Amino acid sequence: MPMAITSTTIPMRRAKKRDWSWLAGYALIALPVLIMVALIFYPAVLALIDTLFVPDATTGVTALSLSNYQAFFKDRILVANLLFTFQVTLTAVALLFVIGYPLALYLRFSKSRLASVVQVLTLFPLFVPGVILAFALIQFLGSHGMLDSLLHAFGFTGFRTPYLQPQGVIIALVWESIPFTVLVLTAGLRQVEDAVVESARDVGANSWQIFMRILLPLSLRSAVIVFCLNVIGIFGAFTIPYLLGPAQPMMMGVSMQQTFNNYQDRVGALTQAVITFLFCAVVGLLYVRTVTRGRKERA
Amino acid sequence: MAVVSHSPSMPVKSSVFKALTKTVRREGLSVVLIVALFTIIIGPMLTVVLWAFADVWRYPSLVPTQWGTSFWAETLARADLAMAFPLSVGLAVTVTLLSAVICLPASYAFARMNFPGRQGLLLSFLATNAFPRFGLYVSIAVVFYRLNLIGTIPGVILIQIVNTLLLMIWIPTSAFQGVDRSLEEAALDVGASRVRVFLQVTLPLVLPSLSAAVLLTFVSTFYEAQGALIVGLPNVTTMAVLMYSIINSQIIVQYGAIISFILWLPSLILLTFAQRFVRGNAISAGFGV
Repeated sequence: MPMAITSTTIPMRRAKKRDWSWLAGYALIALPVLIMVALIFYPAVLALIDTLFVPDATTGVTALSLSNYQAFFKDRILVANLLFTFQVTLTAVALLFVIGYPLALYLRFSKSRLASVVQVLTLFPLFVPGVILAFALIQFLGSHGMLDSLLHAFGFTGFRTPYLQPQGVIIALVWESIPFTVLVLTAGLRQVEDAVVESARDVGANSWQIFMRILLPLSLRSAVIVFCLNVIGIFGAFTIPYLLGPAQPMMMGVSMQQTFNNYQDRVGALTQAVITFLFCAVVGLLYVRTVTRGRKERA
Repeated sequence: MAVVSHSPSMPVKSSVFKALTKTVRREGLSVVLIVALFTIIIGPMLTVVLWAFADVWRYPSLVPTQWGTSFWAETLARADLAMAFPLSVGLAVTVTLLSAVICLPASYAFARMNFPGRQGLLLSFLATNAFPRFGLYVSIAVVFYRLNLIGTIPGVILIQIVNTLLLMIWIPTSAFQGVDRSLEEAALDVGASRVRVFLQVTLPLVLPSLSAAVLLTFVSTFYEAQGALIVGLPNVTTMAVLMYSIINSQIIVQYGAIISFILWLPSLILLTFAQRFVRGNAISAGFGV
């Protein structure tokens, strides 16, 4: 009986609300949407306008020009920075998949009681802020640091520190992104049911075939999200490359900060920012589209 | 051979042995993973903690050559630390409260109300993840430059709020969506007012997710360094920003180690709640998954 009563009352209430509730909805979301537009879209569009409309040196009249971008691509140091950023991003993202997928597969399929310990360890970096991580890795990986001492204790000498080397940046960025990578990949693998895997094994598929033909395709969305957010995150990184990276070449985040703070060149910094936006735009759109599709399918 | 196979104890033994090798093989992988992850992931943080309690530590000793806390008084007496710590806590509290006031009603609207463009607007918050972070900060800093917000506390608050939007809207939205509507309807049917239904039925159900969102926002704001660095300098120096200069001009390792250790404590406390967040998939929702 109560079931019957509620099911008839719901449509009535909804019908009564419909005429005004959309306005209330807009009122409630107005503030965060406004902040987002003012602090994300407006600065991004303004950056584009500021760098594309250049005042003429003699007349002072602004006109559409690519001169800021030409100047960027003529500058050997800046181009080297951009290429370096690409290199670091691609290497780190590839490493994250190589490390992340085995860990995610382990967490998905292991029946070991120790699996929860592995999970806590993989999540641990989520709770170590970037600045502290940088300091910790300098003490750990630096010359005469902890790792050096450990290797020394096992009889290895001649340790060469990755601190202030590209490898140091890559190690730190991978370290930082492991929790997110494993978390999302594991969540994707959880969506594949045990029965599917078992039936494949019954017809004689080996582990590699099961991974390539079943697990990977069925959890592709989580892999795409991991790829996109890691690419964008690492491409836009600052703290780690600033504190652990080489002085030359720099990653784009460091390069922008130097241009903005040390040289007080705001247009130059904006040009670099827009270039990173454009390179990440494809990946960003892929991310938004993947999440959108996932939500539609779930709904 | 025939004798052995007839012995009744052998099959039992071999099955026990098989089970044993099976568990060793299975747990073996776990143990190897744990040792490797412990070294790589806990190792660096352990080094910091050891340094914080070291008076002298010479290479190649694996532990401090001389334990002690003689650097603590000196570190805690630093003037920059005394200024930065209250500032960081104050900023994190302010940003978290503002973000909650701004975002929580919106997340309720996204979950419960019908208005044109609802899905699109909710998805548009993914933009905070779709831009390379530091490029975005530089663009915001240029806008703030024109508004004279560089080096001011309101400027830092604004740039840090941007960071919190996705987390503070998506986690509560999915929590509100997860509430079983029939429970609310049942309460309404027995005569409870809408306010009472919200406070006594809806709120307790979403409270775990809401507190997860608030806690994650507080901690991530407390540690946010990049936005605070580019907008806050030269007047506003938070703890996290202070770490940049300590790392770049490290003369005494213990200073950095002690400050890192103190700075890291809130996160360590959050870590103990981590398992619960993961089970509720709250963290994944923060990434827009």
